[in-house]
Amino acid sequence: MTAVGVAEADAPSPVSRPLPLRALANWAGVLAFVAALCYLVILPLVRLQINAFSDGARGYRIGYTDPAFAKTLAYTAGLALGSLAIALVLGTLLAWAATRLPRSLRMLRVLPIFPIIVPAVASVVGWSFLFSPRPGYVNALLRNLPWWSDLKQGPVDIYTLPWIIIITGFGLTAFVYLFVSAGFQNISSEHVEAAQVAGSSQWGVFFRVTLPLLRPTLIYGGGVALLLGLGQFTGPLLLGRNSGIEVITTDIYRQMSASPIEYGAAAALGSPLLLFGMLIVLVQKVLLGDQRRFVTHGGKAFRSEARPSVIGAVSIIAYSFVATVLPVIGLVIVALSRFWSAKIDTDHFSLQSFRTIFAQSSVTQAIFNSVTISLLAVAICLPVGYVASSILLRGRRFGVLRTILDYVVSMPLGIPAVVFGAGFLLTYTKAPFVLYGTNWVIVLVYITLMLPFAVRMQTSAMLALGSNYTEAARVSGSGVSGTSLKIELPLMRSALGGAAALMFVLLTHEFAASLLVRASTTQVMGTILYDQYNNGTYPLVAAIALVMTAVTAIGVTAAMLVGGSDALGGL
Amino acid sequence: MSHIRIEGLTKHFVGKPPTKAVDDLHIEIEEGEFLVLLGPSGCGKTTTLRCLAGLETPSGGRISFDDQVVFDAERRINRSPDKRKIGMVFQSYALWPHMTVRKNIAYPLRARRLKQGLRNGWVEETAKMVDCVALLDRYPAQLSGGQQQRVALARGLVARPDLLLFDEPLSNLDARLRDHVRAELHEVHGRLGFTAVFVIHDQSEALALGDRLAIMRHGRVEQYDTPQQVFEHPISEYVAAFIGMDNRVVCTYQDGRWAAAGRPIGGSELGIAGTAPVAMRLRADDLQVTPCDASVGANMSSLDAVVVDAEYGGRHLDVVLDANGTRLFARIPSGVSDSWARGLKQNDPVRASFRQSDAHFFDDETGSGASDIAEPVLNAVDS
Repeated sequence: MTAVGVAEADAPSPVSRPLPLRALANWAGVLAFVAALCYLVILPLVRLQINAFSDGARGYRIGYTDPAFAKTLAYTAGLALGSLAIALVLGTLLAWAATRLPRSLRMLRVLPIFPIIVPAVASVVGWSFLFSPRPGYVNALLRNLPWWSDLKQGPVDIYTLPWIIIITGFGLTAFVYLFVSAGFQNISSEHVEAAQVAGSSQWGVFFRVTLPLLRPTLIYGGGVALLLGLGQFTGPLLLGRNSGIEVITTDIYRQMSASPIEYGAAAALGSPLLLFGMLIVLVQKVLLGDQRRFVTHGGKAFRSEARPSVIGAVSIIAYSFVATVLPVIGLVIVALSRFWSAKIDTDHFSLQSFRTIFAQSSVTQAIFNSVTISLLAVAICLPVGYVASSILLRGRRFGVLRTILDYVVSMPLGIPAVVFGAGFLLTYTKAPFVLYGTNWVIVLVYITLMLPFAVRMQTSAMLALGSNYTEAARVSGSGVSGTSLKIELPLMRSALGGAAALMFVLLTHEFAASLLVRASTTQVMGTILYDQYNNGTYPLVAAIALVMTAVTAIGVTAAMLVGGSDALGGL
Repeated sequence: MSHIRIEGLTKHFVGKPPTKAVDDLHIEIEEGEFLVLLGPSGCGKTTTLRCLAGLETPSGGRISFDDQVVFDAERRINRSPDKRKIGMVFQSYALWPHMTVRKNIAYPLRARRLKQGLRNGWVEETAKMVDCVALLDRYPAQLSGGQQQRVALARGLVARPDLLLFDEPLSNLDARLRDHVRAELHEVHGRLGFTAVFVIHDQSEALALGDRLAIMRHGRVEQYDTPQQVFEHPISEYVAAFIGMDNRVVCTYQDGRWAAAGRPIGGSELGIAGTAPVAMRLRADDLQVTPCDASVGANMSSLDAVVVDAEYGGRHLDVVLDANGTRLFARIPSGVSDSWARGLKQNDPVRASFRQSDAHFFDDETGSGASDIAEPVLNAVDS
């Protein structure tokens, strides 16, 4: 019984029947699976709250009576909303520009995704090398302009809120671009052509037809970008702390690095983000409802080969230069120099910094850790995501368990990594599983953070595949597991490659949660970079950042080779 | 090959509103028989097929293949699809794109562990039967629609299943290819004699393919008979309409004689028992169109009408008529270029006549076609 692959919808039958043994076993299996995920994802959050409420809610008292808290809250909101606005406008325009690319320049479509590939710590450090008020290279260049020639520093101060917002916005733009590009794929070209034929100009079509059709995508992508903006950690930590710009996530980090650790205060500070994230995830679930409604669309995918535009190509190249190439240039210059100063001394460029970092066992160990921990987490996440997706799509009969699962695997998307980092540190320094100081706690937190991606990408791949191929295998005599192994998994190869690539990339970048759960013996690339940054050894910081970028690039290339060139398209 | 028995099959779908897709269905399929499930979309034919395959779990009833019960709601037997000896051809063919044609066809043998089939070259043998040996090492994406169809059929047949299921596999082909593939399918069935259930919504294909037809309506079987019987003796107005009797004329008994569409009928009287109003059903090509002054033949009845439109169709003309507010559709020979029919214009008065034996009468309200309505006109002369 239990033909998996069937959307079974039995009406209550007149005779009440006891569940057959096999169905009972299935139930038990699903129950264990969901319970394990709940333990992984929910328990750390619950422990944090228990801690915050203990001792007469001492955590909340400390966290919220701090006079600076109102300012922190305002900075957090400002950063989230400001960067969201930038990301929505830029992301939508870039996605539109990508549809207007001439056929020969189609490859440019991947460029706006690159800010995701360059690690956030690396690009933030790169930006600071360019726009730091005194030694920033671009600032130094700008000071050559006649009207700024009398300045001693500036004109840009990267350590202020507007610039932190702009840099964060550039990073979020890539996410919005991904969502909106996918939205464009779902608009049939006929809708657009119909409007053109009806007499609308290009801009008229964009505002009256394309944009309204994109509304669901924009709401969804905007929601995700807003959550990411609220959870931003790297930018404010590296750029804002010296000038007193604190957001909630950096405040949590401050509480966590206090001695003794103020778990309660950190948990209390995370509560608004936690609640808001859970709320947004819930609203999205309710609004989008059954994802299956959004699957099929008749007609051809959006394409506008008829009217390619040079502006499209130019704007994509310009954005990529500013958002991706510029910070990397900053990193390269500093990595090759002996010191970071406004004057670039090309005569003394050398690879000394690289030699130095590769000679340090702590750095090589961190690189090794990053790669192996990420690979391990991806290897665990993929099958977990596959099982979860199968239950979500075909497990109607599991009722409430399925609903819980749906919510649990979405939560890490809504809740900042810093909060999870704090929760995992609290949970795994205590019985029953004392894992702090080992790589396992990092593996667990990485798995948690990647759950939404593993599940979402495999769910959409399964939806796109439809049920016909698996049903054909079942009626050909194949069992459930045989069908999964021989039919479904090979057909999902490119989606799996894409999911693996995305997760590997995001994990080798991971900084926020890693910073909280690391121990001196368990460093990853991001944390070792941060330590060097705090030491002020900038050429080494730049070299590590470049190595990090290179590792990521290798991961992406490998995934594209395995999953086909579309692997990144699934991002 | 085996004898399939469906008893009291019921399938509900929960939803808003809940639906009864299949409602107490009883069908027996003889060994080697080609049964066609025919009906409009939503009548439950595909659900029935999927219940036979085990892809859908019925809410009640019993299905058995020979002596083996594969589903029994009461005894809680429900064999999964892989435990039933079936083959299935899907509407989209569902050939696995990552396997060659050879691997696609061999898959059921591997999955069912039929080693002797793999050893004895059943794959090649089956491929030969459906004429796709030359395609064996290609991938599905490299095949045309008709070729994919043949491969899908080979995959369904290769494991010599008890029952072969077809889910509208012709509907994705264009019209000419469809005729061709249908003829091939008919021929292959004639040669191999497998038991098959075929879901379809096109009546002409159903007539050509089926040994028997089950016309379905709201999850029940309306008529279950041979194609000839269904075509010539539709049991109800629903069936008549579905198999192409497009003309519906309400006949009433007025002043001691029968009138059609409110006007007295010319020519022979209609052979209708009783005096209750009846609905007369006629095929378009059973309606003749003649000038008003032409004489009506023996055993023929006639209606006066005016031309609404005439379309040229090559060998035939499709003429739309209006008889006192009732639309009539006639398909008449187009004849030679200067024939009278070709000169038909809008509002031309004409006479539409038909053989009594071609008219079918049903209760105007219930649509039922009980034998007490129509007095069979025997020895309808064919001159």
